Amino acid sequence: MSFEEFQNRARLFVVGALEPDEMAEFENARREFGEKAEAFISECYSLSEAFALSLKPAKASDQIKARLMEMVKNRQAH
Amino acid sequence: MLDRSPRSASPLRSGGPSDLELMEGIQREDPEALSQLYDRYNGILKALILRVIHNEAEADDLLQEIFMEIWNQAKNFSAQRGKPLGWMVTLARRRAIDGLRKKQAYARAEERLQQETEQQPDAWVHNSTEEEILHSDRRVLIRRVIGVLPPAQQQAIELAFFRGMSQREIAAKTNTPLGTVKTRLELGLKKIYDGLKELRDEL
Repeated sequence: MSFEEFQNRARLFVVGALEPDEMAEFENARREFGEKAEAFISECYSLSEAFALSLKPAKASDQIKARLMEMVKNRQAH
Repeated sequence: MLDRSPRSASPLRSGGPSDLELMEGIQREDPEALSQLYDRYNGILKALILRVIHNEAEADDLLQEIFMEIWNQAKNFSAQRGKPLGWMVTLARRRAIDGLRKKQAYARAEERLQQETEQQPDAWVHNSTEEEILHSDRRVLIRRVIGVLPPAQQQAIELAFFRGMSQREIAAKTNTPLGTVKTRLELGLKKIYDGLKELRDEL
């Protein structure tokens, strides 16, 4: 697999759109390209961030944060 | 405890600890860091979850579970492998799609999505109102990048990212050859990726 092809696959990988049969090939190429591959995959996560940031933020119920912090407090107490 | 002095800025807020500093705080089990990260990103993550599962109450419950997972899994986060937001979005998306599948709610979500689309053509493929756009320059810029894609490419990416569909499922849903779906995804993602790189200085 060329690095350009790997780049295409990496973008599909971060958005969860790689087919199972493509995954093995992708993982092989990922090992083969090593650090260069990992650096590119890290950059590709900007796609996931962008898709989330493209949405209008939604307001969570006020109780959610209180419950979350209570759970954290309990977890720390044990 | 968390350093609250104004150092490197968050991508969404000027001043205050950076996202990375907050993640490091969570790794040290500082609840204040989680509290601040929650305040900063709960709206974005809830919007993402809601976009996947289309149920307000379930989205709130899942949001709480995801932030608890962020707390529990923070030790697995490595800044060398990406930014905190990318890590959180990946985690939230995976949990939301898992939740959708577990509850076998595809049919219900489909119905709700259909109703919502008819009532309010929001989102990405059909962009938002002027008022919404004014709320976020960042959102405007990102939507502009996404908006230049042909609708078929936007649809393929939306079905993959927000619905967790495989290429084969997208092909079946849109009655399109598998090879065409793959090409649409690859071209669309490359265009967005390149567009985001150009925007990086502006964001």
